[in-house]
Amino acid sequence: MSHWEPKIVSFLCNWCSYGAADLAGVSRMEYPPNIRVIRIPCTGRMSAKFILAAFRQGADGVWVSG
Amino acid sequence: MISPKLVEVGRHINIELMTCSEVESVEGESGNFEVTLVNHPRYIDLAKCTGCGECALHCPVTAVDSFNMGLDDRKATYIDYAQAVPLAFTIDTDTCIGCGKCETKCMAQAIRFDDKERKTTLNVGSIILSPGSQGFDPSGLEYLGYGKYANVITSLEFERILSASGPYSGHLMRPLDRREPAKIAWFQCIGSRDLSEGANKYCSSVCCMYAIKESVIAKEHAGSDLDCAIFYMDMRTPGKDFEKYYNDARDKHGIRFIKSRVHTIDPVPGTGDLEVRYVTDGGEMNSEIFNLVVLSVGLQTSPDVIRLANRLGIELTRGNFCKTETFEPVATSKQGIFVCGAFQGPKDIPQSVVDSSAAAAAAGEILSTARNTLTRSKEIVPEINVINERPRIGVFVCRCGINIAGVVDVPSVTEYAATLPYVDFATENLYTCSQDTQEIITQIIKEKNLNRVVVASCTPKTHEALFQETLINAGLNKYLFEMCNIRNQDSWVHKNNPELATEKAKDLVRMSVTRVALMEPLKEAELEVNQTTMVLGGGISGMAAARSLARQGYETHIIEKSDRLGGQALNLFQTPEGEDIREKVSLYIDDINNNEKIHVHLNTTITRVDGFVGNFESELYSKNEKQILKHGVAVLATGASELKPVEYNYGKDPRIITNLDLDKKFIQKDPMLKNLTSAVFIQCVGSREPQRPYCSRVCCAHSIQSALELKRRHPDLNVFILYRDIRTYGEHEYLYQKARKTGIIFIKFSLDNKPEVTLQEDQLRVGVRDHILNRPLEISADLVILASAIVPNGDEKLANFFKVPTNNDGFFVEKHAKLGPSEFATDGVFLCGLAHYPKPIDESIAQGLAAASRAVTLLSRKNIFMSGTVAMTDPAYCSSCGVCISICPYSAPSFIPDDDRFFPGRAQINPVLCKGCGLCVASCRSGAIHLKGFDNDQIFAQIFSVNEVI
Repeated sequence: MSHWEPKIVSFLCNWCSYGAADLAGVSRMEYPPNIRVIRIPCTGRMSAKFILAAFRQGADGVWVSG
Repeated sequence: MISPKLVEVGRHINIELMTCSEVESVEGESGNFEVTLVNHPRYIDLAKCTGCGECALHCPVTAVDSFNMGLDDRKATYIDYAQAVPLAFTIDTDTCIGCGKCETKCMAQAIRFDDKERKTTLNVGSIILSPGSQGFDPSGLEYLGYGKYANVITSLEFERILSASGPYSGHLMRPLDRREPAKIAWFQCIGSRDLSEGANKYCSSVCCMYAIKESVIAKEHAGSDLDCAIFYMDMRTPGKDFEKYYNDARDKHGIRFIKSRVHTIDPVPGTGDLEVRYVTDGGEMNSEIFNLVVLSVGLQTSPDVIRLANRLGIELTRGNFCKTETFEPVATSKQGIFVCGAFQGPKDIPQSVVDSSAAAAAAGEILSTARNTLTRSKEIVPEINVINERPRIGVFVCRCGINIAGVVDVPSVTEYAATLPYVDFATENLYTCSQDTQEIITQIIKEKNLNRVVVASCTPKTHEALFQETLINAGLNKYLFEMCNIRNQDSWVHKNNPELATEKAKDLVRMSVTRVALMEPLKEAELEVNQTTMVLGGGISGMAAARSLARQGYETHIIEKSDRLGGQALNLFQTPEGEDIREKVSLYIDDINNNEKIHVHLNTTITRVDGFVGNFESELYSKNEKQILKHGVAVLATGASELKPVEYNYGKDPRIITNLDLDKKFIQKDPMLKNLTSAVFIQCVGSREPQRPYCSRVCCAHSIQSALELKRRHPDLNVFILYRDIRTYGEHEYLYQKARKTGIIFIKFSLDNKPEVTLQEDQLRVGVRDHILNRPLEISADLVILASAIVPNGDEKLANFFKVPTNNDGFFVEKHAKLGPSEFATDGVFLCGLAHYPKPIDESIAQGLAAASRAVTLLSRKNIFMSGTVAMTDPAYCSSCGVCISICPYSAPSFIPDDDRFFPGRAQINPVLCKGCGLCVASCRSGAIHLKGFDNDQIFAQIFSVNEVI
């Protein structure tokens, strides 16, 4: 398990968190590359089915932000 | 917050940005000006620079970062900040050593060392001046030690320190030793409300609020243990919701507010700390040690702008702001030249935005006959039908100079993309966003017969619209596109991990490819905008809106519930500048009545509103008659009125009156005003109280103006003004100074120690505790004037008709407190005047113009296209539960009428009102709603392809 790295699927709101993730890049911040971002129009669009589907695909964590 | 606005302006087809330019001269007249500009060299080709920053990375020169207020360094090749528009670098020739390194490193070949100063002339019909203001330089005020002690900084420097993109990356530190301060002091009115040489006499309007904001944010950064103290003369928070913010800062965040002016700052040797000495209101000497001192510097017009105004022949005020009239708040002294922002007077963002829209309306009134004669529009390329065709995807991977390619192995990502299902073509570009690449992409789409496109580059937030335009030019529906963010969310944040960054880029490209394969061409609902407008309320701001709309060529109906136009302005006597208000209002009313495009409906109310943006249908009710009015937009200017006080014995004696009662006496030349010996004004009657926590904004200036008028008539009259904070913001401060000079006596009281008005044997007595002597005082008065609050004519029915919200105080809630003050979140509905918040006449008129201006942006398009990413129902699956209808913030879903032939009672969604948030889709328990462009299968496709096994 020493080399185990989690896989994180994140759902980011187009209007806030997705923009914040862009700004993190503009500010040249660094974070681990384990995350895969899916842009959604609003967290209102979020469905429990998406979270379950992500876990079924082997995600170790799901992050919804908006 | 302003970034999207910047991008919108930068990309607008009919806005030409001329940077590094100054106005040299203006010849001609309103409607036909010739403007000569001096264009200073940028030394970098704006058309070629992609803003990648490679030039600055290699520049060997270190220069002072003026954008970060000198707290940081930058290179000689620089850009002010990462979101700047245009996103292009410039070379600062004062520090550049001419080594040429940037030229060799720039792959876009944008460096132009031979760039020269040029002159250009423009032919324009009207001009808007928005040169802004600069912060007051406190180095002249020696006692503050600014420039001498490193830990005495200006508020502007503190703003940069708090900023995440500032000199300390948002970490709260003091400049001297980069230590985190534990105690910070703010000094208010630095360079403002100051009669000494070199300072400004006016109030800068914005500093109280920004100091509170800075202290609250500082506590957010450093934790609640941070001790913040604000030293002030009067706290001036008269803006919408500002008083609540002030109260919360004091009560919830524990910010200390100390009413005092600091007279001495001494360094504490060896610590970098500062000892602050001040005298309290009660005359007590105090001292306290702080780690950091922030000077709340005021706003002033820069000498460059004063020179510009002189060149243009524009009159300035005493405080060097642009001179305007109360009833023409955005017109300069020169016809055809308008003004907005802090050059018109010191003001905050919401007021600046109101002014800017107002100036646009005023400029548009002159130009309305020439509307659309010089505008450019896009060429329409016929759309290729791709339905039922197998996806043929093209993938364009961007190197972004070395921004992406320096970390991510772009060739291997491109190679990988080519292996993905349905990908017919994959290539890499040096800069996918450059103009020539757009033409190449268009050609490739046509040659390879592609029907879906993926661009793997930066962020869709800034570049999606650009690439979608390229698709349109190639004849593809713009929704057959997907952007894959491998720069901002990959190469830039994983630069020390190139291998995993490349893996991530491949994953992201795969997710985008599977998603775009499922995208379908979407149709954007087209909507015709009815060119008739309706203004609700015939007060001064409603009339201003209506007149501007009519002058810009639109049929306008004013709906007024009373029997005359003019509203509250008819009850007012004089402006703070001493102009006769009723005279000016009657001229305004004549103007309205003589305008054949304006139809006035008096004694009329609204009983029903149907429809939505562009196509409203309102039922007007007057004298038992009903009439239907069809209109494209609505402006709500329903106003407010004076609160009838319930305290201070109001109503029990004819000598206890309100400010409006006094105005009435002035207007009617009431003999009662003749034999007076003593008059007492009491401020904040019903305002800034727990049950009505807002400040009514206009009362301080109004009371002082009336007090001066009484004093003018009877120089021997004793006039007292009992106040909590005097809020004569901006250049109204001169009134306050004049009042003090004239001998009007100001006595401060606090909320827990309010004055008392008593009647003793026909004698009016006002008891108050004097704040300096700290002793009770009794004044016998012939007249007590109550500065009563302004309360909105809250009409819940109307708010429901137009589906617009009101706040706890009953005022309408605008789209955005800062950037959208004159419009509602509901499309096609606008607001202005007192219904928005209490404000004086000039601001009411400016907002009336602003509402008209915002409305015209919609009206002038005649047809509008809504977004294609909207929700739609599949009525066969709908269970008529109504969740979507109750949950939608935009009122887009409704039930299909019962008498409809198909699916009566099931839900339907109006694509015109839908904003595509997807709330209804996620809430629908029957799975009957689909969000086009973000449907389940498209999002699932992305989730399923997170791992390579598809």
